[in-house]
Amino acid sequence: MSLTPLASLPRLLRPWCWIFLLLIGTSSALSAAELKVNEARIRLLPGDIPAAGYFTLANTSEANITLIGANSTAFGDVTMHRSVNQDGVASMQPVAQLELAAGEQIEFAPRGYHLMLMKRTRALAIGDDIEVTLLFANERQQSVMFRAVSPTTQ
Amino acid sequence: MTRWIIPVFVSLWLAGCGEQAWQTKDISELMPPLAFELVDENGNDVNADQFLGKSTLLFFGFTHCPDVCPTTLARLNAATQRMDEATRDDIQVLLVSVDPRRDDAETLRTYTAAFGPQFIGLTGDKEAIDELTHRYRVTYGYGEKDNNGNYDVSHSSAVFAFNDQGEARLLIRDSDPMDAVVADLERLADDA
Repeated sequence: MSLTPLASLPRLLRPWCWIFLLLIGTSSALSAAELKVNEARIRLLPGDIPAAGYFTLANTSEANITLIGANSTAFGDVTMHRSVNQDGVASMQPVAQLELAAGEQIEFAPRGYHLMLMKRTRALAIGDDIEVTLLFANERQQSVMFRAVSPTTQ
Repeated sequence: MTRWIIPVFVSLWLAGCGEQAWQTKDISELMPPLAFELVDENGNDVNADQFLGKSTLLFFGFTHCPDVCPTTLARLNAATQRMDEATRDDIQVLLVSVDPRRDDAETLRTYTAAFGPQFIGLTGDKEAIDELTHRYRVTYGYGEKDNNGNYDVSHSSAVFAFNDQGEARLLIRDSDPMDAVVADLERLADDA
C-alpha cells in the first residue's frame, strides 16, 4: 500500500484536496489579517503607577470573535476594564470577555473600555513601542505594537 | 414693524450688562467654602487656608486609576495650557487621594508631577478624608480584591472649583465642553 497522501483519491480530485488542505493550514494567518487594530497606545504614568492601554479593534472577518484578554512581557499584570460613571460616581468594572460580531468595531478609549497594565517588568519611556498580545477565544491571538504616550495625552 | 425692534434691543442690552452666567455648574449657593486638614505629597500636614490666594480645583481620585483620573487631570492640564501664563499660575489643582493605603506621599508626588507643577497631591487618614467628602456630599468606596490583591476605588468624577478666597464656585463635569471649562476657569482666575 502506497504511503503517498491522497493516493486513494481519483487523480483529478487530488489537486483540489491539496488546495483545500493548504487553505486550512493558512487559516490562522488569514484570520490575523481579518482583525484590524488601530491607534494602539499606552498612556504611561511614571514609576510603577498603572497605565492604560487604548486601541480600536475592527472585526473585518465574517465570523464573530471574542476578545478574552491581553498580555505583555513588559507588564506582569494586564486586565480588561470598563470605566462606568453612575450619578457622578466613577468606578471600574472587570471585563471577562468582549464579543465582536462580524464587521463590528469596538473602541478602547478614555472613560470606557481600557487595558489596565500593572507591574512593569522593565523601565518604559514615552515614545517606546511596547508589544502587547491580544488574546481571543479559540486560542487565537494577535501581537500589536502599542506606542507609549504622555500622561497628558487627551 | 419698528414696534418690536426697540424691546428686542433693550433686552439684548440688558442681557449684555447683566452678570454673565457660568457655563459649567454654578455651586456658589450650594457648597461650603474650602476646608480640610490633610497631608500633602511631601508628607507635611496642611490645611485649606494654606492654599488660599489662588483659584483651587479639587478632585477626588487615586493613583491606581489608570483611566478616569489621568483623563480628568489631562483635561485640566489641557484647559490650563490654553490660558496665558499669568492666568495659569493663578490656578492650582488638588488631587485628594481616597486610597491612602496605596497612595503614600512619594507615589502622589510622582503621579502629580506627570501632569504639571500646578498639580498637588493630598491625602489623609479615613477620618480626614471622610470629613472632606461629606462636606462636598461625595462618596467613595472600595471594591473587592482580585487574585493579585488589586481593588478598585469608586470616587466622584467631577471637579470642584473655588475662588482665591476658597469660596465654592463651580462643579466641572466630564460632559462640560472644553471651551466652557477654559472660559469659566479664566473668569474664575481673573476675578481674583
